[in-house]
Amino acid sequence: MSDSTHHSQFAENSQSCAPAVSVSNLHMSYGSFEVLKGIDAEAAEGSVTSIIGASGSGKSTFLRCMNLLEQPKEGRLEIAGETVEFAYSDKGRPVPVCKQVTRNLRTRVSMVFQQFNLWPHFTVLGNVTEVPIHIQGVSRKEAIERAEYYLEKVGMSDKRDQYPAYLSGGQQQRVAIARALATEPDVMLFDEPTSALDPELVGEVLNVIRSLAEDGRTMLLVTHEMRFAREVSNQILFLHQGQIEESGTPEDVFENPSSERCQQFLSSIIH
Amino acid sequence: MGQRTSAAPKKGKKTLHGYQSEGLADWAGPLLQGTLTTLEIALAAYAIGILLGLMGALAKLGKVRVLAVIASAYSTIVRAVPELLLIIILFYAGTQALTALMNALGTDGRTEVSGFVAAIAVLAFVQGAYMTEVFRGAILAIPKGQLEAADAYGMTAFMKFRRITVPAMLPNALSGMSNLWLILIKDTALVSVVGFEELFFTAQQAAASTNKYFTFYAIAGVTYLMLTMASNAVFSKAEKLARHGQARS
Ligand SMILES: Nc1ncnc2c1ncn2[C@@H]1O[C@H](COP(=O)(O)OP(=O)(O)OP(=O)(O)O)[C@@H](O)[C@H]1O
Ligand SMILES: [Mg+2]
Repeated sequence: MSDSTHHSQFAENSQSCAPAVSVSNLHMSYGSFEVLKGIDAEAAEGSVTSIIGASGSGKSTFLRCMNLLEQPKEGRLEIAGETVEFAYSDKGRPVPVCKQVTRNLRTRVSMVFQQFNLWPHFTVLGNVTEVPIHIQGVSRKEAIERAEYYLEKVGMSDKRDQYPAYLSGGQQQRVAIARALATEPDVMLFDEPTSALDPELVGEVLNVIRSLAEDGRTMLLVTHEMRFAREVSNQILFLHQGQIEESGTPEDVFENPSSERCQQFLSSIIH
Repeated sequence: MGQRTSAAPKKGKKTLHGYQSEGLADWAGPLLQGTLTTLEIALAAYAIGILLGLMGALAKLGKVRVLAVIASAYSTIVRAVPELLLIIILFYAGTQALTALMNALGTDGRTEVSGFVAAIAVLAFVQGAYMTEVFRGAILAIPKGQLEAADAYGMTAFMKFRRITVPAMLPNALSGMSNLWLILIKDTALVSVVGFEELFFTAQQAAASTNKYFTFYAIAGVTYLMLTMASNAVFSKAEKLARHGQARS
C-alpha cells in the first residue's frame, strides 16, 4: 500500500502484509433497520475477495460502505490509504465524513455497477477520460493514452467513439470496467457486474475480471457466479443477515463450510 | 415607466388628416423595430427563465426544506394565476416597490423603471416557474445510477450538476423548453398592456393610425408565425444534438 512512504524502516518491513482494505466493527442502518451488524474483514493488497450471500443479506450495502456511498454509523474503515472512523453525534445520527476525505477516497476506490451506469451523453472515450481529466487533473493527452490502453485491455478499442446506448450490455460493462481502471485505483469494487447481462454476454465480462485478478488488482466482488468466485478469489466472505457468517479461502468455504447457514446457501445455489 | 412615446413614423407627410397618407411603407421601420424588441425581450427573459428554472428545480429536489418550500410556492402560484394578471400585478407592484425602496434610500421622486427591463423581469419570472417544472421532471427522469456513478467517482456537487445532470437531462427537457419558448414569444404581446412597444403594440398603433386594421394585424400574425417557424427549426436542430447519445428507434 502506498501510505507507508513516511513510515519508519520497521513499518516498511511489514508493508507487504499490510492489508489494502481493513474493516472493523462496521455498523450500518437504513433508518432503524440495521443492515450491517458489526463487520470485521481484511483484504490483502493484490487479492480478490468475493462476497456471497442470500438476497438482502447486505452485500451491496457492505460494498457501498467501502466508497462511502452509504455511511456507516459506527466502526472503522481503512482503504486506499485513508482511515475513516464512524461515530454517532449526540443526536444519534452518524457524524458526516469530511467531504475532502470522501472525495480523496473515491478517486482511489473505483466501482463497477450492476447496471453499468455509463454516462449516456459521453462517448466511450469520453466516459473513460472524464474522471482522469476533470477530477484527477490528468492532462487530456495522457488521459486519452490511458483510456486507449484500458479500452484495449477490455477489448473495446474499436468502439471508442460510439455512444453507450449503441452497445450491448456486455460491451457497456467492459467500458465501465475501463472507466474504473482509468482512474488507476488502489481498490476496485464490483457489485454483481454480470447480473444484468444476458447469459451469452456473461463470459466476456468475467474474462476481463479474471485478467485483472491475474494482474494482481485488489478487488472486492459481490457475485452470484459461484464457480467464478471460487476460481478467481483468494478469500470468500459469506454474509448472512448483516454479519460475516463464514470466511476463508475458497476451499474452506465451498468445501468445508462450518456454518450450517452457509452449507444451506451453497446447496441451494449449486445444483 | 410605461412612457407611451409614440411609435409613429418620424417621416411621412403630416396633413390635417394625417393618417390617410400613412401606409405600409411608413410603418415598415417601426414594425421591424417592434419585432426586434419582441425578440430581444423574449431572448433575455428566456435566458433568465432558464436560470430561475434550474435554481427552482434544484431547490425543489434538494434536501434544504426552506428552499424546497419557497420553490414550490413560486412554481405553484405563478402557474396558477393568469399571465396577463401576473404581468400587470408584477409590473405595477414591482415599480411601486422599487419607488418605495428608492424613496427609503433617500432618492426623491418617482422611480422610472425602464419598460424594457420591467418586461424582461416579469416574463422571466413567469418563465422560471414553468421551467422549474420542466427541469424537475427532466432531472427525475435521469436513471439514478448515472448520478450515483458521478458521486462514486468523487465529483463535487457542482461538477456533477454541470458535467452529468444538465447534459443528461437536456434530451428530456428540450421539448418542454421549446414549448415554453413559443409561449414566451406570444406572451411578449401581453407586455403591450403596460404600454411597452413591442411588435403587437406597434401593430396596434399602426392599425389605429392608418385605419388598416386587417392589414396590420395580419402582418403581426404572420410575423409571429415566422418567428415560431424559425424557432422550431432551431429547436429541432438542438434536440438532434442533445439526443446524439440516445439509441435509434
Ligand atoms: N436505500 C434503502 N433503504 C432502506 N432499506 C434498504 C435500502 N437499500 C437496501 N435496503 C435493505 O437493506 C437490506 C440489505 O440490502 P442489500 O442491497 O445490501 O442486499 P444484497 O445482499 O445486496 O441483496 P441482493 O443480492 O438482492 O442484491 C435489504 O433488506 C434491503 O431491503
Ligand atoms: Mg445487491
